Amino acid sequence: MIRADNIVKIFKSGDKELRALKGVSFTIGSGEFVSIIGRSGSGKSTLLYQLGLLDHPTSGKVFLDNTEVTALGKAERTAIRLNDLGYVFQDYALVPDLTAFENVLVPLLMQGLTNGDAKRKAVQALERVGLGERLGNVPSKLSGGEQQRVSIARAIAHDPKILFADEPTANLDNDTSLTILKIFEELHRSGQTIIMVTHEPEYAKMSDRTLSLFDGEVVKDEKHAHKAVEQHASG
Amino acid sequence: MAIRSKNHRIARTILAFRLGLFLAVRQVRRANPWTTALVISIMTLTFLNLVVVSGILIGLISGSFIQFRDSYSGDVLITPTSGRDYIENSPALVAFLKGYPEVKAIAPRHGAMVQILGTLNDLPEQNERPNRSAIRLSGIDIAQEEEITRFSRFVQYGEMLKQDEEGYVLIGANMLKQYSSFADADIPGLDLLKDVGVGSRIRIILARKDGDPIVKEVTVKGIVKSKVDQISTRMFMVDRELARLLPANKEQLQEIAVKTDPAYAPELVAQLKRFMGSNEARIQTSAEAIPSFLRDIETTMGMLGNAISSIALVVASITIFIVIFINAITRRKFIGILKGIGVDSLAIEIAYVMQALFYALVGSALGALIVYGLLEPYLAKNPIDFPFSDGILVVPWDGTAIRTGVLLIATFLAGYIPSRLITRQNTLDAILNR
Repeated sequence: MIRADNIVKIFKSGDKELRALKGVSFTIGSGEFVSIIGRSGSGKSTLLYQLGLLDHPTSGKVFLDNTEVTALGKAERTAIRLNDLGYVFQDYALVPDLTAFENVLVPLLMQGLTNGDAKRKAVQALERVGLGERLGNVPSKLSGGEQQRVSIARAIAHDPKILFADEPTANLDNDTSLTILKIFEELHRSGQTIIMVTHEPEYAKMSDRTLSLFDGEVVKDEKHAHKAVEQHASG
Repeated sequence: MAIRSKNHRIARTILAFRLGLFLAVRQVRRANPWTTALVISIMTLTFLNLVVVSGILIGLISGSFIQFRDSYSGDVLITPTSGRDYIENSPALVAFLKGYPEVKAIAPRHGAMVQILGTLNDLPEQNERPNRSAIRLSGIDIAQEEEITRFSRFVQYGEMLKQDEEGYVLIGANMLKQYSSFADADIPGLDLLKDVGVGSRIRIILARKDGDPIVKEVTVKGIVKSKVDQISTRMFMVDRELARLLPANKEQLQEIAVKTDPAYAPELVAQLKRFMGSNEARIQTSAEAIPSFLRDIETTMGMLGNAISSIALVVASITIFIVIFINAITRRKFIGILKGIGVDSLAIEIAYVMQALFYALVGSALGALIVYGLLEPYLAKNPIDFPFSDGILVVPWDGTAIRTGVLLIATFLAGYIPSRLITRQNTLDAILNR
């Protein structure tokens, strides 16, 4: 599904160089739920941005379904982000002028769906995350958890090949975080490939596999027995 | 391959327009209403500045053109050619005009330069200049003149002449010291008559090429005043009486004002020139008869109006630029997110451009409503009282359309440039607010 091949990312600031990723390589298969964990500054979000085509690595390659996406032009990368990938950000990243429904609708319209199809898909996605009754609310009228659910609905409405989540529970309380993770779990169960960055090892254990980053390198690639959210909640 | 790529670009542009419109509608609908009202007010004022300032400046001169036509020349004016004293073949020309279907009315006028002696009883002291002035005396047929110029409206003091009474004249106010607006200027060579008013007896002296001058005493029946010099600086008597006074060529006229449809005037001029053949006369539309210096003033006023309007345009463009730039910079993160999830930058730019164009269109529509619904009809009924004309508002639709187009182009750029500046920024930097 997605393969990282010796990814290096160097940030330059004047004469100084910061090597955020030092040759990271791995493969994630279709339908996997992978967590990327590590301490602050370990490069986990940077890695997610390279995989999600939001940034371009200094060197190395990313393959999506055997296509080297790092070699593609800006327009093609934008098209892949629109059609094949979905994103959930830490701070929800909803457009404040738009209602929950409209936030989900925007990428669907950009994909060229008819108004009717786009609206139907947007409603379905919002119903899937339990917000079928809050379609007309703007983000400021929604709680943090609800906003993150809208963000998830926007990310999954077009059935992306991979769902990227960058610390999706960082701004949420424990109960709300579990609600979000439960949605991820359900998505995963239905076959959705998910790559999630988290700084909570406990949440990472709910995924199939955890990549541990330290100082820009994958130091551990651990597959673990899946633990359901309900089990986690009950302790 | 190239065709597929081109088709792909077209499809992408269409989608970007569709989404841009979607976003623009919501940006406008959910924008702060006070900000929207403020920006639209600025655009309305800019539109007014663009259209009204030049419209008033040109209207000052155009008002005098209209007055020249309505008060003196009619739609077509026939006068002698240079060096001639009269319009050749006048009787036949008048007959032709009277039988011409498109001619609504004519005002034939005799005319002559005369000397007027304003004081008949007292002889001037030694070294004192006599109360005398040279003036153009025009003969008017009361009924015909009324049809073309509504001449009686110019009588400010005293009474209008009557067709069947003789021995009376009307004098232009600018020839009388008592009434002239130039009286206090003491212009060298300008001899204004003193102590002449309604009821005064004056003497007209009409020089002859051979023999003694013709002298006739008349009574001033009224004072006429207009912003058209040809009224305020002349003297008028019943045409029949003047024709009798003239020493020669009594049947030939010095002026014929013709009323027709203004749009038909150029064609009538052509027809009249054809009719006149080898007979000489200067045949002009009212617009052609206007002195060229007034045309130059009109052009200068137009340029001045454009210069002032340009400043307004720059101010409006900067305002829109600032509004859109602030709007876009405060939403930089959300613009980054939209780009991050795959929304084309073009769609985001279109949204901001449409928002700016919305402000400009609503502002222009309100401005047009004020101009055409309020200002133009009001000033047509209540012209601005300038010393040399009654100023109106000249706002032709085609000129307004061009100015609105210029405003929209300026607004387009003022909306596009800041949105482009923001969307060009690195997507991830925008998302992370770096």
